[in-house]
Amino acid sequence: MAQTQRPKTLLDSLGEEIIRILTPVSICMFLVVLLVSILNSSSSLSVTSIATIAYSETSSDSSWDKFLGALLNSLAFVAVVTVATFILVLFFYLRCTKFLKIYMGFSSFVVLGFMGGEIALFFIEKFSVPIDCITFLVLLFNFAVVGVLAVFMSKMAIIVTQGYLVLIGMLVAYWFTLLPEWTTWVLLVALALYDLAAVLLPVGPLRLLVELAMSRDEDIPALVYEARPVTHHDSASGPVQRRIWRGRQNVTLDSEDNLSSNINVNVVSDLSSTANIVQANHSGTRMARVEEGQVSERDAELSAPLIDRRMDGQDGVLAESLMLEGMGLGSSGAIKLGLGDFIFYSVLVGRAAMYDFMTVYACYLAIVAGLGITLMLLALYQKALPALPVSIALGVLFYFLTRFLLEVSLYNVL
Amino acid sequence: MEVSQSQASTNATQNPNPNNNYPSNSNSILSSTPVWPTIDGPLGLSEEESLSYVRRFYKFGYALLPFLWAVNCFYFWPVLRHSRSFPRLRPYVVASAIGFSVFSVLLCSWVLTFALGGEQLFGPTWDQLVMYNVADRLGLTGWS
Repeated sequence: MAQTQRPKTLLDSLGEEIIRILTPVSICMFLVVLLVSILNSSSSLSVTSIATIAYSETSSDSSWDKFLGALLNSLAFVAVVTVATFILVLFFYLRCTKFLKIYMGFSSFVVLGFMGGEIALFFIEKFSVPIDCITFLVLLFNFAVVGVLAVFMSKMAIIVTQGYLVLIGMLVAYWFTLLPEWTTWVLLVALALYDLAAVLLPVGPLRLLVELAMSRDEDIPALVYEARPVTHHDSASGPVQRRIWRGRQNVTLDSEDNLSSNINVNVVSDLSSTANIVQANHSGTRMARVEEGQVSERDAELSAPLIDRRMDGQDGVLAESLMLEGMGLGSSGAIKLGLGDFIFYSVLVGRAAMYDFMTVYACYLAIVAGLGITLMLLALYQKALPALPVSIALGVLFYFLTRFLLEVSLYNVL
Repeated sequence: MEVSQSQASTNATQNPNPNNNYPSNSNSILSSTPVWPTIDGPLGLSEEESLSYVRRFYKFGYALLPFLWAVNCFYFWPVLRHSRSFPRLRPYVVASAIGFSVFSVLLCSWVLTFALGGEQLFGPTWDQLVMYNVADRLGLTGWS
C-alpha cells in the first residue's frame, strides 16, 4: 500500500530516545524507594564497607565531627575509585578484555546472588513467608545465573537484559543507602566532583579510557544499559547498529587484600570480600561502564563521561539522528547509559525516601531535569561529558531545600 | 490474500536470508509467518545464529535452570507460535517449554505442600527447613 508516512520530527525521535532512557532510570529509582520504605525498619544496620573505613558515624557525635568523618570517608572512597580506574585503564591498555569480562561476570553473579539473596531474606523474615531453603536456593540460583547470562551474552532478549541491569542497579543502590547519612551525602557530592575531574581533565582516567577505546575503535564490554534503538519507518537501510555511547564508567576496585581486615566477618561479607569489583570493560565506545562492586567494600563507581560516538570513529553527537534524518539514513542507534548513573541517582532518591516522600518527589524531578540538561549539553558540546554532576547537584540542592523549607513551613503552619 | 501468504511463507522458509535487513516480502505483505525467530524481530538473531543459541539454552537448562528454559521460550516465541516455521529451531524450543512446565508443576506442588502442610505434615523438620529459621541459624541476615 502506497502511503506517505509523515516524516518523524526531531521531537519525535529525540523524545522517544530520551523516554527510552528515562523509563528505566525512573523504574530503578522507584524500586529503590519501594525497598527503602518497606525495609526501613532495619535502620539499625550499620554497614562496614570501604566507604566507612575512616569513620563510623554514631548519632552522639556533633555535627562538625560527623561532617569531618563523612569527608574522610568520601575521600578514602574516591581515592579507591581513582586507583581502580587507573588499574582498569591499565588492563584495557594491555588488552586483557577477557579477564575483565570474566571478572565482571563474576561480580554480577555475586551482586545478584548474594545481595539479591540478602534482600530476599529480609523480605522473608519481615513477612514470614513459609518458603523452604531448597526452593529458595533453587530460585536464587536460577535468578543469578540467568542474570549473568543475560548481561554478558550479547544476544539475549533485550527486555531480559534491560530488566536485569535495572535490578543490578537497584540492588547496589539499596546497599549504598545503608551507609550512614552524612557519609552518603558527602559521598555523592564527592563522586560528582570526581566524575567532573576524571572526564574533563586531560589526565583524568576516564578520559584516558575513552581516548584509548576510541583510538582502537573497540567496544567497551561494560555493564551498560542500552536502550532499544528507535527505528524509523522511512529508513531504507535496516536497523543500523550504532555505537552511541554515553559513557559512565564505574569502576570498582579489586581491593580484597586491603579491605578484608575491615570487614565484619560474616558469611556474606566474606564472600563479598572475595568478590571483586567488577570492572566493566570498556570496549571502544566509551559507554557507561558499570562496575558492580561487591557492594560494601567495593563499589567504586566512577561516572564516566557522556559520550555519543558514532561507529565510524568520529565523535558523534546525540543528535546524530538529526543529521542522518536529513540524509535519509537509518535512525539512531541505541543510547547507552552506564549503570553507575542508575545507581547513584537511585541512592540519592533512596536517601531522600528515608526522610519523607516530599523530598523523593523533589529529588526525582531534579534528577530528571539534570539528566535532560546533561543531554542538551552533550548535544551542544559534542564531547565527553560527565553525567553525574548536574543531576547530583540539583538533587542535593532540592533535597536540602525541601527538607529545611518543609520543616520551617510546617512549624509556621502549626 | 492466501496466495500472498503462502508466497510469504515459502519465501520465509526457503530464503531466511539473514543478510538482508528487510527481506522483500515482509514490508508489503501482512505475512503470518515470521521472518525473525526471536521476539526482538530485526534487532534479534537471524535463523542461523539462533540455532546455536537455542541449543545452548536448552542444554544449560538441564543444570537445574528451568528459568533458562522459560527465557528460551520467551525469546523464541515466534517459533512456538507459528507451528510450521523454523523447523530446525522448533524441537528445542518445544522441549524447553515442556521442561519448564514439568519443572514448574513439580516445584509449585512442592512449595504448596510445604507452605500449607506446615508442621502437621512434616513434624519438626518443617522448622528445620523453613527459610527464616535457616537464615537465623546461619546468621545470614546479621550482615554488617
